[in-house]
Amino acid sequence: MEYILKNGIVYDPANEVNGEKMDICFKDGKIVEDVSADAEVLDVTDKIVMPAGVDPHAHVAGPKLVVGRLYRPEDERRGVAQKTKVTRAEAGFSIPSCPTTGYRYSRMGYGTVCEAAMPPLEAKHTHEEINTIPNIDINPLPLFGNNWFVMEYARENRIDDLAAFIAAMLRVSKGYGVKIVNPCGSEAWGWGMNVHGYDDKAPYFDVTSREVVRALAKANEQLGLPHSIHIHPNDLGHPGNVPTTIATLDSIKDIAKSTKASAGVRDQTIHCTHAQFHSYTGNSWKDAASGAEEVADFINKNPYVTCDVGQVTFDETTTMTADAPMEYDLFKISGLKWANKDIECETAAGIIPCIYSPKTPVSTLQWAIGLELFLHIKNPWQVCLTTDHPNAGPFIRYPKIISWLMSAEKRMSMIDNGEVHKWASKRTGLAGLEREYDFYEIATISRAAPAKIHGFQDRGALTPGYNADIAVYDINPNDFDPSKDPEGVEKAFSNAYYTIKDGQIVVKDGDIVSTKQSHTIWTNVIGYEEEEKQIIDSIMPFFTQYYSVKWENYQVHDHYVPNPTRVDVEAK
Amino acid sequence: MKTITFDQKKTSSIALEFDELITDNIYSWTEEDFAEYKVPVGNSRFPITDYFDITVEGEAESPAEVKMILNGDCNRVKYIGCKMSAGEVVVNGDADLHVGAEMSGGVVTVFGNVAAHAGREMKGGKLEIMGNTKEFCGASYIGEWRGMSGGEIIIHGNAGKQCGECLVGGKIHVLGDCDILAGIHMTKGTIEIDGNVNRWPGGQMKNGNIVIHGKVGRLLEGFVEQGIVTDPELDGIVYPGRYIEYQGDIALNGKGTLIIDAEKNRDRLSTWIEEDDEYNAIREYRAQ
Repeated sequence: MEYILKNGIVYDPANEVNGEKMDICFKDGKIVEDVSADAEVLDVTDKIVMPAGVDPHAHVAGPKLVVGRLYRPEDERRGVAQKTKVTRAEAGFSIPSCPTTGYRYSRMGYGTVCEAAMPPLEAKHTHEEINTIPNIDINPLPLFGNNWFVMEYARENRIDDLAAFIAAMLRVSKGYGVKIVNPCGSEAWGWGMNVHGYDDKAPYFDVTSREVVRALAKANEQLGLPHSIHIHPNDLGHPGNVPTTIATLDSIKDIAKSTKASAGVRDQTIHCTHAQFHSYTGNSWKDAASGAEEVADFINKNPYVTCDVGQVTFDETTTMTADAPMEYDLFKISGLKWANKDIECETAAGIIPCIYSPKTPVSTLQWAIGLELFLHIKNPWQVCLTTDHPNAGPFIRYPKIISWLMSAEKRMSMIDNGEVHKWASKRTGLAGLEREYDFYEIATISRAAPAKIHGFQDRGALTPGYNADIAVYDINPNDFDPSKDPEGVEKAFSNAYYTIKDGQIVVKDGDIVSTKQSHTIWTNVIGYEEEEKQIIDSIMPFFTQYYSVKWENYQVHDHYVPNPTRVDVEAK
Repeated sequence: MKTITFDQKKTSSIALEFDELITDNIYSWTEEDFAEYKVPVGNSRFPITDYFDITVEGEAESPAEVKMILNGDCNRVKYIGCKMSAGEVVVNGDADLHVGAEMSGGVVTVFGNVAAHAGREMKGGKLEIMGNTKEFCGASYIGEWRGMSGGEIIIHGNAGKQCGECLVGGKIHVLGDCDILAGIHMTKGTIEIDGNVNRWPGGQMKNGNIVIHGKVGRLLEGFVEQGIVTDPELDGIVYPGRYIEYQGDIALNGKGTLIIDAEKNRDRLSTWIEEDDEYNAIREYRAQ
């Protein structure tokens, strides 16, 4: 089937197309240079055309989500919508059901989402959930930062073994890249402890966070994986965590990026996720303030670093993270119901509801710090739009964040009218920032940059040969001032005029008109087969003794990934 | 003022769902609109006129100007007045689950018995039940930690289990008896019970007031006796008589107030120290 999107105003940062009126053609699911005269014409005259959105960090599938849904039935009551001829019934707000997740991303014009924390032990279930999320492709990142084998390799600086282990685990879990959460801290939580700072040791392992992160970064570059290490640093959410954040990012400075073709798309060697939660100064919440400028300055000076923000959206949401000790800290502060989950030998998780209110000082501080990061980081290719869904807010708030970024007037009115707590002006520099994003920069932080950071070579751009993942928004940028009409921006980006996924129209005028099976994107390392076999043989005695499942049941077999997009990496 | 009268023609073994038929939605409806409307029944919809004769009298420009009258046995009609914000609903008969749930204003009166979940998570307005009601009256929905937050529920009969669970505001007045765990997890507001209470009122309460004029079956150990009080005043309301006052639930470091009628619960005083002058009045009473 051939289509031509006619007369749209195109923003395609990867191809340096900035608001040009042009046609976009696609055929059989791919962008093409031209189509025949028989092509169906989709008239998008004077509407914004962008590549479909790419979410570089969200929690949409896996065991944490299931626990969250089970223990927060009250959240499922929010956002209920009846089934239609096309869709199943929708439910949930911060932890929507799997089909609902797909529908809502589609309505916003998104096509790809990174599931940012997949415990290998629970990978099967994560893939089962991915299979029930329609319309968006998902690349899950297995967790490595507190894995017992990883910590041992890091302590003994066995980078070759670690690289083989990563290659094996990506194959075994059908994962895409290396995710690190509170390195050594989640393991310490198994003993009721945490690590503090970057050079604290995990109990009984005699290894520091620094050693683990550096070892994983070296192994990642040795393999030439498409994505860099993707890190949630230590001390998340703690006032005074800026030194830890910067020490973490700085520690990778001397590790060269892989020269392999598979790593050639990206520029970075470390991706710092939800940087907002890692940009606090002070010693406690009494004197906490913004460290956004310091973190942003570091990122501005170091192109090997990228980040996503984790913007707070002022909602009642559900926090869920493998940083289990942090969740316990949050529980002690809020007193709301708390769930804890241990993943044997690999990681942990904590879940707790969280109410971000504009009337409370801490929530407002977090909100302002997130926006400061967006506005201080000069290169939009180094920063991505996220809410760390659902931790700082549900992903359906992305359009609202876009409206804040595009309108300094809106931000100032929120501060001046007392819509947010006075800490926004007293403890952050947000009130002094007049920068406003334009549509080109919005397209960068929400599509082009995340795709580049994840090393995708088939999406995030309207390049011929790429997947026909396209979003159309009902705004004429030549006749619309986003600075003066933030509500209009939010409305348009919430309800795509068209969302096209692999050449199939899945959304029209904000309504789901068809659904499509998701792809699971995973990385297949080629060239390490012998080393993988040796490393699996070497861990097998320990695995057999300490894991409660057998290796045969641990692996994610092919039928768990019925619709894969396999990314082959020639690692040697 | 508009009056919309529903006269029952036939009942249904599967419950009809009235959450769409609230004053906020139907204040401008005509009889023709009702004739076209299909009410959810299980997983299907059927014409509302199959079940009710509907007459509309007068005009209304807002929900506040509407009075809905349901005549007949509505014990298979759910969600009456659910989420309404204004106006009046009168049920001349029994009603099914979720009557007045999540309502934020207006008045719902039921001249009969009501099934469970009445007034759950109510935010405002008044719900008056002339008969009995079952479990979770004025409570939170499952998982939620914020139950009824405003308004008033008056139950002229008995209330079931976990009445006022997670109460965070408003007042519940049960003129009859109350089953177990009234006011469990409550943090604010008042529950007044004229009759007897089965067991464990106020379990894990953090704050708020529970007043029991009848006999209490069993108290949780997390309630600490504060002594005898006469004509206590709670949130500006005086409760005449002598009561035993407790504070709890200390299991959760709670500071809630539980007062129970001293006369009807005098057996609880048997462990008190006879020499304590504070309890002279009770000793005299027991000696009678």
